[in-house]
Amino acid sequence: MTNTRNDPWYSCLPSCETQVPCGQGRHIVRWEAGQLRLPEHPDAEAELVLAALGGEKAGCVELAEAWGRHTSDLSVLGVGPRGPADKIVVSWEDVEAAGQAGQHGGVPGLAALRRKPLRRPAGPPAAPGGHSARQQQVQAELDRATERRNDLLSLLALGYGFSVRLAGQVAAAHADSPDATARPALKAAITARLALVAEQWLGIDPDEVDEVSWHDGLGWGRTELTGQAGGRRLRVSLPPSWLARVWACGLALTAGHLVVAVDRAGWPDARVLAVRAPGAEPVLVDVHARQYDGRDGTAGTPHWEL
Amino acid sequence: MNREGAETYLRLLAEAELRGPMVPARRQPWSGQGGSTARLTAVAQALTAVRALDPEIVEDILADFDLAVSVRQRPDRPMSGRLGAAGPRPGRLLFPSPGTLLRRSRLATQSSREPARAPQPGPGPGGPDRLVPVGLTVPYRDEGLSGEMFLMAFAHTAAGARFTMVWETHSRHDPERDPIHPGLLPFERFTVADDRGGGYQLDFARSGGPEWAGDVSLRPEPPDDIRWLDISAPDGPVVRVELDPVAAEAAVGAEPAVTEVELSPGEHLLVMLAERLLTVAPEFPHYLRMQLAAISPGPLHTVATGMGDVIAALEAADVLSPLSPVPGRLAAVCAGMRVSGHGITAPPAQDLPEPWLSLLAHYQRRKPDTVPVRDGYAAVAAGLPELDGIRLALLSLLNTDGGSWLQVLARGLESETSRGPFGIDSYFPVSVWIRDSGGRWHACRPAGWHRHNGEYVGKLQVVPPLTRSTAWIEVLAAGPSAQVRVQLPLRWRYL
Repeated sequence: MTNTRNDPWYSCLPSCETQVPCGQGRHIVRWEAGQLRLPEHPDAEAELVLAALGGEKAGCVELAEAWGRHTSDLSVLGVGPRGPADKIVVSWEDVEAAGQAGQHGGVPGLAALRRKPLRRPAGPPAAPGGHSARQQQVQAELDRATERRNDLLSLLALGYGFSVRLAGQVAAAHADSPDATARPALKAAITARLALVAEQWLGIDPDEVDEVSWHDGLGWGRTELTGQAGGRRLRVSLPPSWLARVWACGLALTAGHLVVAVDRAGWPDARVLAVRAPGAEPVLVDVHARQYDGRDGTAGTPHWEL
Repeated sequence: MNREGAETYLRLLAEAELRGPMVPARRQPWSGQGGSTARLTAVAQALTAVRALDPEIVEDILADFDLAVSVRQRPDRPMSGRLGAAGPRPGRLLFPSPGTLLRRSRLATQSSREPARAPQPGPGPGGPDRLVPVGLTVPYRDEGLSGEMFLMAFAHTAAGARFTMVWETHSRHDPERDPIHPGLLPFERFTVADDRGGGYQLDFARSGGPEWAGDVSLRPEPPDDIRWLDISAPDGPVVRVELDPVAAEAAVGAEPAVTEVELSPGEHLLVMLAERLLTVAPEFPHYLRMQLAAISPGPLHTVATGMGDVIAALEAADVLSPLSPVPGRLAAVCAGMRVSGHGITAPPAQDLPEPWLSLLAHYQRRKPDTVPVRDGYAAVAAGLPELDGIRLALLSLLNTDGGSWLQVLARGLESETSRGPFGIDSYFPVSVWIRDSGGRWHACRPAGWHRHNGEYVGKLQVVPPLTRSTAWIEVLAAGPSAQVRVQLPLRWRYL
């Protein structure tokens, strides 16, 4: 089964590409076989050296660096799309505006978004002293937070196809043996995505999908639907690898079946283990993919059929 | 404690909340103030308050949530009250500021590990705390200002020596045009001397509550065994403050009685939530206060949004048993206060604690606040045994401005702590109640603090206020593992 196979998680994903601002023009950025590639910057390493010496860093290169910084960042799962219907539109103008604002102390009009910190010197006031050093540290933290926010915005601006691939990469980085710090984020990410899939699959409210439980060991897990309309609960057990190997590859709901595992990965043909209805035994299904046309903003994602 | 369960619950709740802006045609949990992120924030604060989650992790989750919402908000979609208060500009996304995205901060870790509940310094050198009820008036006159300083109690602890006091002025100033504030009092012209010839100065500090009440510290710190202090104000007589309780004819109560209790952290938090609801009355205008529990749906109907989520989160964190009776009691308080929309699934319990029943009965009377509270104070001073790392000393009762205030000295509080859900004061995790000589119970809620050498002087607002006919009080202070009761006679003095 997929959670024990050694083939890469992205074996069912085709390459995808988009254009991004770089210098005065636009360059192609491509994702291929688990890597972000910059075809118009064949020697990105050398460009980085030049940038370190004071030269200007190309936009494409900055983007690739941002990608590299977040390939195991679980926040990607918390911010990125939960499915094709989850529309996220971040334009490059938005990214530029956020970047410029970051250089000038904040995005205008963001005061309304500023969350009050949970910690406070409320009630008993804090002891005085150490303000200067602390301010410097706070500033450093803010700088890092700004960079991180701008990173995530620019990665989202790449579009849905890249976002799901990055999510797959993050999920794959943690799926083999998720530790206690990663399990909550992974569980929430899988549950949220499965809930939207289940809505299409069964017509149930996403809130009626229980927290996904981990399936360890051989096999794929289980599905169970209980209760009547209005009080139904869908319980699903899946391996952590489902997020990368199935969902990120666009296989989660194929021809009315919930795909729970990939038996033979490949593009454009694969064999998957799919469940027709909750509680039913899964069956092996051969599926064939075609590249999505992207008219709904999901360019670069495959569409699988029996 | 199940930290993983706690974090998973919070993340799943964030996912459920996010489905609001994600699919606008579906249900409308993203309905603005009082909904949506109110639930998420309440759960986050609750899990932090019981220490099931570190504040840094919570901030990460909420920061990601903020960003996730921002990149999904479209100009034609309804915006949340909290995030979209300014409204989006067409074609422009609103992003959280970097401050909302702060990742795990070493600063935060350091601050949350401040002395916390570390053992406090012992009492002043040479002996235990010295707590003396005073009850003396020091008249003063200084240029255009005259009045009285009422000394209520004296406390000498490791942090120093201080009087709790309230002051009154007979200034010719027009208070509308030239408001009087404590800084106008000529404290520098007061003289203070002890029985050994030592001299002192007075430093004023407010401690929340009424503006004309606070405490004055002695500088330098006196020896801990002086017998009296003579205080004289400009153009005023010398007033001797006896510091020997016998000589001072102090109103001394019985020894505090300590009993063990066994509340889980989740239960203790829910108790504080219930008490928060029961003491929320002072925050409402008088005309609404009169009707808090008497009208439906009641002015409190949005206060408790997310309480059901908080209970579920506490259970997920294994800090609240599914068999606990406390959620049912909280539901009963909500019902009694006409609080709707709380989402608590437990049926309202019948076995409410006596103080809660007393306060509910107070609100449910048709005219609960009809007896005016006459200004005055009662000099009390009592140290309580340590409760879950916190030591309290009671330093006077004050009736003024239509309210009652219990002035306390606290040690062991955290100097910087998380916000509690629903506005509870989680930095003061002690439940304090007063039973008056008529058998009625009064809740005490924090109303402001100031820190002095690691100790905190503050006021607890007494809800409902005490009346002047109260001859004695029994103070009940409770933490998660123990409670203490002490009875104190009152001798009221009027301002």
